Amino acid sequence: MLFKRILFDKIMGAWMVIALGTILLLPFVIGVGLYIKSAPLFQHQDIWHLIGTSEWLPHEGKFGFWPFIASSIYVTLIAFIFAAPVCLLSAVYLTQFSSPRLMRVMHPVIDILAGLPSVIYGVWGILVIVPFVSNILAPAFNTTSSGYSIFAGGIVLAVMCVPYILNMLIEVFNTVPIGLKEASLSLGATFWESVKHVVIKKSYPGIISAFGLGIAKAFGETIAVMMVVGNMVQTKFNPFEGGYPLPALIANNYGEMLSIPLYDSALMFAALLLFVIILIINLVFRYFIYKTGER
Amino acid sequence: MKRKTIIFGLVAALLMTVCVSKKQKEQTISISGAFALYPLVVTWAEEYKKEHPEIRFNISGGGAGKGMADALSGAVDLGMFSREIHQEEKSKGVWWVGLTIDAVIPTISANNPYLEILKQRGITRDEFKSIYIDGSVSDWADILKTSNKTALKVYTRSDACGAAETWAQFLGGKQENLKGIGIFGDPGLAEAVVKDPAGIGFNNTIYAYDINTGKKRPGIEVIPIDLNGNGTIDPEEDFYESFEGVLKAIADGVFPSPPARELYLVAKGKPEKQAVLDFIKWTLTEGQKFVKEAGYVPLDQNTINGYKEKLK
Repeated sequence: MLFKRILFDKIMGAWMVIALGTILLLPFVIGVGLYIKSAPLFQHQDIWHLIGTSEWLPHEGKFGFWPFIASSIYVTLIAFIFAAPVCLLSAVYLTQFSSPRLMRVMHPVIDILAGLPSVIYGVWGILVIVPFVSNILAPAFNTTSSGYSIFAGGIVLAVMCVPYILNMLIEVFNTVPIGLKEASLSLGATFWESVKHVVIKKSYPGIISAFGLGIAKAFGETIAVMMVVGNMVQTKFNPFEGGYPLPALIANNYGEMLSIPLYDSALMFAALLLFVIILIINLVFRYFIYKTGER
Repeated sequence: MKRKTIIFGLVAALLMTVCVSKKQKEQTISISGAFALYPLVVTWAEEYKKEHPEIRFNISGGGAGKGMADALSGAVDLGMFSREIHQEEKSKGVWWVGLTIDAVIPTISANNPYLEILKQRGITRDEFKSIYIDGSVSDWADILKTSNKTALKVYTRSDACGAAETWAQFLGGKQENLKGIGIFGDPGLAEAVVKDPAGIGFNNTIYAYDINTGKKRPGIEVIPIDLNGNGTIDPEEDFYESFEGVLKAIADGVFPSPPARELYLVAKGKPEKQAVLDFIKWTLTEGQKFVKEAGYVPLDQNTINGYKEKLK
């Protein structure tokens, strides 16, 4: 009887380790799979040549990924510039200044925003943001634009990231012990000074990881961006022109994969690039969190 | 003991479903691919089921590229395909039959300030080429030789599709050579062109015209192609007012091919399923009578007979 119980215990323990191991292995397996699939491309071209050049003519065997990488970074950067301050300020207000009632109203709003399928953001982008960029924003900057642009992609992405970043920031600020703030207040600091020097300072690692998560999500977003970004292969750094981010490249062309030689490898390489870049973003933010935690 | 019975029962049930589904599978025809052919194939499937209720259809869109990829990988029985079949694809063992013809036509917004001039003079193939392939035209004034300038905005398709490939072929290029802002999907491109008075795009005929009324869809206008290049639209080049006129021009060969093109069903090698072969045979015979009312141009009888030979 005892033997049976010990055995059972051991087996249950093993199951959990296997489950954990699978999760740990997954990124590795995905990475290796993508590499194997994209390997034929490396036999024809040097990897730095692939990343560094900007000619994209699959029929002639020219695969330059730079326009796609640049567009991805550019769109994500614009989204981050819009989303980060808005999220930080509203999270501070919601957790430190507002009434609990407002907080109760905000939670479902954030959940709804986070739960909307991205195709809805895409349609909304075409109906609202694209005309806005074309009719109002571009004339304000004294240029013309069709509206299908990196700028429109950035705005749509920013709106999509807000619920994620905001939700995490609220959680982070809520974990700061009230005692700390009270101590600061009792020493004569004003409310804003306590928020600035105690609450925000204490939550640094959390804020950084919230932003990191938001950026990684923005970088990989596909459908909504693809619908408004214009899908033009070019490297002019004009936000009112179209761009062509990596996820859009894969989604647009996976159908044509079989009819052009090396095209499937090229698309797998695009996926690998996306994978590696998101890995790098995560590592960089991990490092920041580690550094700020140390202090 | 009890557990064993349950396990045996499950295995038996599994075996039975395998047998049943194998029979069912023989009677199911799965099709995916080009949006251009999708409406017609759906109509055909409905009509075919009236005569053959035992056959099941599984039809999905996704674009010509997807149709070819799915057919070659064996994910579907038949792929719908809407552009010329490349040599690479033929060497992979593609088997195909042509079913009908439609066309890709250049479109602009009904609010285009030069609409009247465009309708009188049209645009030649070379001018389209300088807009779409060379990218040397950035203003409507460059083409129309007017004094007031309006920046020309070029739109194309972003997804791998037959329409863009056929349009590029008309201009002597590939889809990757087409300049312009890439919009996803045929309806999306139509929408973008309608909303931008200075825009130019292209659509499958079935997305530019409304089958029910036979007129152009609201807000969209068609640019007449100046086929003989004499700088005006002659009466015989002016057939864009109604859907019927365009279809007739395609059928008579007045409208060039490309941008008119055959629409195909493709498969990896000749299909082995009898149900699939029967269906294709039906589409080439009785099915042809639904082609016109669905808004397509029928193939001529010689071509059809040629494809029928392939079925034997």
